[in-house]
This record gives sequence, structure tokens and C-alpha cells, in this order.
Amino acid sequence: MSVFVNKDTKVVCQGITGNQASFHVKNSLDYGTKIVAGVVPEKGGSLHLGLPVFNTLREAVEQTGAEATVMYVPAAQLKYAIREAVEAELGLAVSIAADVPLSDMLEIKAMLRGSKTKLIGPNTPGIITPEEARLGIFPIDIHKKGHIGVVSRSSTLTYEAVLAISRAGLGQSTVIGLGDDMLIGMDFIEVIDAFNHDRSTKAVVMIGQLSGPFEEVAADWYKQQINKKPVIAFIAGNAVPFGHNMGYAGDVLTNGYVSVQDKKDALAAAGMIVVDNLNEITRVLSELK
Amino acid sequence: MPIPPKKQCSYTPQEAMLAADSVSKRGPWVLKAQIQSGARQSGYFLEKKAERISGVQIVRKRSEIATVAEQMLGNTLVTIQTGPQGKKVNKIYVEAFQKVKKNFYLGLTVNRITAELVLLIADVPDGNIIKVALNHPEDILHLPLCAGDSVSSAQIQNIMNFLKLPHRSAHHLEKLVNGLHRAFLDLDATMIEINPVGVSLSGELCALDAKISLDDNALFRHQDIAVLRDDSDLGERELQAKRYKFTYQEFDGAVGCIVNGDGLALSAMDLLKEHGSGAACFINVKGGVDKDKIANGIKLIMTNPRVEGIMLNILGGFVRCNLIADGIVAAASEAGLNVPMVIRFEGTNKDMAREILNNSHLPIVWSNTQDEAVEKLLKLIKEAA
Repeated sequence: MSVFVNKDTKVVCQGITGNQASFHVKNSLDYGTKIVAGVVPEKGGSLHLGLPVFNTLREAVEQTGAEATVMYVPAAQLKYAIREAVEAELGLAVSIAADVPLSDMLEIKAMLRGSKTKLIGPNTPGIITPEEARLGIFPIDIHKKGHIGVVSRSSTLTYEAVLAISRAGLGQSTVIGLGDDMLIGMDFIEVIDAFNHDRSTKAVVMIGQLSGPFEEVAADWYKQQINKKPVIAFIAGNAVPFGHNMGYAGDVLTNGYVSVQDKKDALAAAGMIVVDNLNEITRVLSELK
Repeated sequence: MPIPPKKQCSYTPQEAMLAADSVSKRGPWVLKAQIQSGARQSGYFLEKKAERISGVQIVRKRSEIATVAEQMLGNTLVTIQTGPQGKKVNKIYVEAFQKVKKNFYLGLTVNRITAELVLLIADVPDGNIIKVALNHPEDILHLPLCAGDSVSSAQIQNIMNFLKLPHRSAHHLEKLVNGLHRAFLDLDATMIEINPVGVSLSGELCALDAKISLDDNALFRHQDIAVLRDDSDLGERELQAKRYKFTYQEFDGAVGCIVNGDGLALSAMDLLKEHGSGAACFINVKGGVDKDKIANGIKLIMTNPRVEGIMLNILGGFVRCNLIADGIVAAASEAGLNVPMVIRFEGTNKDMAREILNNSHLPIVWSNTQDEAVEKLLKLIKEAA
């Protein structure tokens, strides 16, 4: 069991012929991901990495029955790629694109509202269900099948958490990077809710960021849940001087004025287990068992 | 959007005098330090000779213009947004003082949860919006705006009531808010704050000061704005880093860090602090890395005199570790490696990377985790001292 993707999820790749896309799609295929087709405008009818390429996403979905798309399209193209996904009524879209303009994201979020499509990203490593499906750019050799759900706004700290969990002899049910742009697709609430309903997930590791209210909002929601899995939360940034902007897109009025401690306090008050060091995650997890 | 009619930019105290004369025959005047930061009015200067003024100064006597300008120019203004190192003031704005009956704060940004534009409005008699945000957040009115439409008359009435503005200000307010909305969309802004908006005796509104943050990711659509980029408050190493297209930041510790993500940078800082040390600088190479970029990064770090050791922590998903290893070898052969270096590689092509560096016979210490890397490096630095 897992959330959002598993070994049977049929995946199509938008922008499959690009350099990075080819590298990562090949790795994902080797990993066992059921990638069934690619989409590149004007390259329909050709084959790439042994997969059929279609001109439009709709065609690819009609021909292959794909349920999810992983997008290796540049930032400027993202809104068009997502429009296609929404129109094709795909359940899941994953975008790794960096540097997406905020105004494009406002449009994208408006498109997604009321649609059947959930977006992971942009600016994220994607989603991986170990030993089943990899949609994105996760390093391959650090994951291990298991029962810990991981959801994170920091790419590199996701890898750190995954490594620690794997090395402790535990494993992950599904790992999801939300991205840390000013606007993101799925948020903590949607993912933790999915983990709460996933029988194979025993506990959730949540990695937050300094800027943005996503963690606090998730904490308010978590507090009200009745049936829920334990959440172990980590937020880096203790050593950042008060008011110092590390380069995150901040919030207007709270930019730099909310300290990491404020965030941690909010999460702890909601019943999450807050750790100060990534290595503590595995200690807490083993005590939970 | 209405702004003060008379203003001029000055680079020297003499220019400031001339500017003052040209904007108004009589005082008071307002002198504003031009740095890329808000909260200048509650800021302070690092230099002793300017310790009594802030970044926005009302000057009543003509004879004091040059003195205040001299205190601002060339000195370092610290605000809650600049960090403790502050920013150097190279130019000031001279304006005629606008007599107003009332000031308020008007901001426009994006609500990150609802993904909507949101207007923020608050009464701030002393201009200090931060104080209101911290102590009385309920005193800030939040009004969502539809991206496509202009502001509704009900919303204007809502703001009028909230601010207790005189009836005759209504159409001025509508014009101001719609102008702000259009500017936000047209400029691809991430935030515009007008602080304060002045309300004149006759009920007219005027943007007396503003801070606009633009979306770097959309700058490619605004070549006319892109050419205005002012890097004069960046240090030499920061400028160089920009040329190489990576993020570089300096702090006051002893460790030079190379990482491939903001999260890793933050957690490295936490760990260094835990061990009683700190970072001298950070290079975040993010996704796109090649051999030259990394080599330039390492050479750059070694020109920072604070750096006593280098910690390289790469968790490669997008980044391929072998390219980083090639860069390290290139930097060491071109510039030498004169401080201890601890490396931790994980992820894509890490074994290849280890082999490259082991074959180079550089004095590199390996580590499996970030904690271990910090401990090993701090020990090496201690031994070298």
C-alpha cells in the first residue's frame, strides 16, 4: 500500500525527449515505474526510450489509459502542460520545474480549483513509492520499502530524512516533495490526510520550512483530526538570525518575523512530535513501534 | 497612482541641497535613504556620526539638509529587513514634506494558502506596520481580490469604514486600489507595500513611500525593469557568485559550506551552531551544476579570509555527484587546497564521484552524514590552528 502512486499506476511523461527528462525517465523505468507514454508536441508518432510519443496529453491518455503525468517541461511551459492535464482529467500531475513565475502559479491554482487533477510541485523532487514507482528526480539508491510516510517542503532535507529512515532499518510507504515556492500544488494537509487513510503507513515524517504559513495551517487541521497517525516534524533554521532572509519567498507581514521556534511551538501544540535534529527522527520512530 | 509631485534623487550633500531648493522653497523636507529594504524609518545607522538619524528623516531647516545628507550618504543603514550587517546608502531621495491629516498602510500580495491576491490595510499613525503585525494582527484588514476583476464598490466601502475615511476620499481610494492592483499584475510583483498612504485635508490620497518586490522568475518578461537591477549593495564575492549563477551568502563563522539546497544550508547552520561554531559562507549550487561552476565556487570560498575549512554536502537528485568531484579536482589543481575539506556525497553517481576524488590524492576527508561532516571538519580546523 502507498499513497497516490504504486506499481500499477500508469504514468505518462510530458516533455519526455529533453535531456534531463530522458535521464530521469530511464532511471524511473529501470526502477519499475509503469511509464506508458510520452507527450511532446509535434513529435507524435515517434518512439523514445521505447515508449510511444503523442502530440497531446489527451491522445496519450486515450490510447494508454494513463492516470498520472510527470512533467519535465520548462517553467514557462508549465501552465500549458497543466491545462492539458486538467482537461484530460488526470488524477495526478507532478512538476519538477524550477523558477515558475508567481502569476503563472496563480493561474495554475485557479485551473486546479474544482478540477480532478492534484498537482505535486513545482520545484520538487516529485513522488516516490519505494520499489514501485518514481515520478520525478529522487536519487534512486536511498529509498527502502516500509511504513513511514514522508512529506517535505525541502528537497535535500527529504533525502536526508529518507536516508536516516532507511539506514535505521525502517522504510518509506511513499515520499512526497511539496516544493517550497511561494505557491505550491498539494499541501501538507492533503498529503497527511492521505497517509492517515493508508493502511501501510504507520507514521508520518513532515519536514517544514521557515517561510510561509503551510506548517501552521496543517497543525490547526491536524489538531482537529480524530483518527490520525503520529507525525514527527522537523523544521531547519534555528541558527538563522532573527529577521534574516535566507532566500525563501517570504510572507509579507511575517517575512522573517516568525521564528522557527514559533513554528515548532505551533506544531507541538497540535500534538505533533517535534524534533530538533534530523537524526532524532529515527530515534522517535523506533520508540513508536 | 498619485505620488508626491516634487522629488529628486541625490548622490552628494551638495546635490541634496540643490534638490531641496528645487522641490520646495520652504521646509520641511523629507530625506529618504535609498536601499533595497523596507522599514527604513525604524532603522539605524552603524556609524557613530549618524547614530541619531534613521533612514527616513524629516528636515525642517534648510541649513540641516547637507548635514543629514552627509550622515546618510556612504554610511550603513540597518533595518529589520537588512540583517545586522546593514546596507550602504549611496543615494537619497529628497522630497517636499506633504502635510497630511492621516496615514495608513496599504499592501498587496499573495495569500499562499488560498492562492489569491490579498489587500492588507491598517491604520498606522507612526508608520510602523511591523508593530501592528506583531502585537495586533487583528487590526489589519485582509481583503481577497479577484485577479481578473477590478475592486468592487462594496470592498471600497469596507475599506472606507475600516479606516474611517471621509466620504470625499471614496473615489480617490478606488483609483488608488485599482492602480495598485494593475501595477501588481503588470509588473509581475510578489508584493507592493505603500507605507504610508497620506490622506490630505481635502481627502485626497497620495502614496508617500513604497516598497515593491518583483518576481525574479518573471523578470524575463520585463527587460525594461531587468536593466534597472542595482547590485551596488553586493560585496565583491557576492557579485562574482552571481556571475557564476549560484547563491552565495556570508556570515561570521569559520566554515565555508557548499550545499545543493536551502534546506541543507539551514540544517548545516543549525548543526554548526550546536557545535559552537558557525558558517563563514554558503554556496548553494541548487540544480544546475557543471565542473567549472563548482571549481569557481570552491576558488571563491577560498578567497574569503574567514574560511578555515570547507564542508561540501551534496545530496544529488538532480545534481550529479561526479560533476562536483570533477570541479573539486579542477579547483585544487588551479588554486591549491589550503584548508581542510570534508565531503559527503549521496545520491546520483556518488560512487563515481568518490572514485574520482580518491584517484586525485587530494587530502579529502569523507563523511557519511552531515553530523559526521561537521564534527570531523571542526576537529580538523582545531588541529590546524
